[in-house]
Amino acid sequence: MPSVTLDSVVAVHPRVSIRPEPFGALLYHFSTRQLSFLKDRMLLEVVRACDGTRTLGEALGTTGVPAAQTARYLRAVETLVASRMLESASAGTAPRRTAPDSATISTEAVA
Amino acid sequence: MTPSPAPQNTVVEAPSGELIDEESLVEEVSIDGMCGVY
Repeated sequence: MPSVTLDSVVAVHPRVSIRPEPFGALLYHFSTRQLSFLKDRMLLEVVRACDGTRTLGEALGTTGVPAAQTARYLRAVETLVASRMLESASAGTAPRRTAPDSATISTEAVA
Repeated sequence: MTPSPAPQNTVVEAPSGELIDEESLVEEVSIDGMCGVY
């Protein structure tokens, strides 16, 4: 049984920084030291839409993911939840501040 | 320069029962042990 469904509400982990790239985006988790490559710009928009206030179904709808691709994007979100880039949130929870932007990545990496 | 992810495919079953070789939208990498490597 999938851990995320269209009714799930998820948000970007506060220790995750997102950097858009030509191929999609890079996510870096400052706690787990994991990188996730998002290989699609639309998935980046889905991740940004996952702000803890709307369901995944709403996030997919907002970003224009075609219905035929829903299962594929759900699998991608499931992968990101499993790696703690995204975490479950209660519907209606106020959005939390996320990690600083990409300029901070190199600063913390050097420190 | 940021490295690009290598293709990583998964085989999924379409509603019709057909098996489709589908490229994953996410690829994960750990940077443990890569300190100082840029």
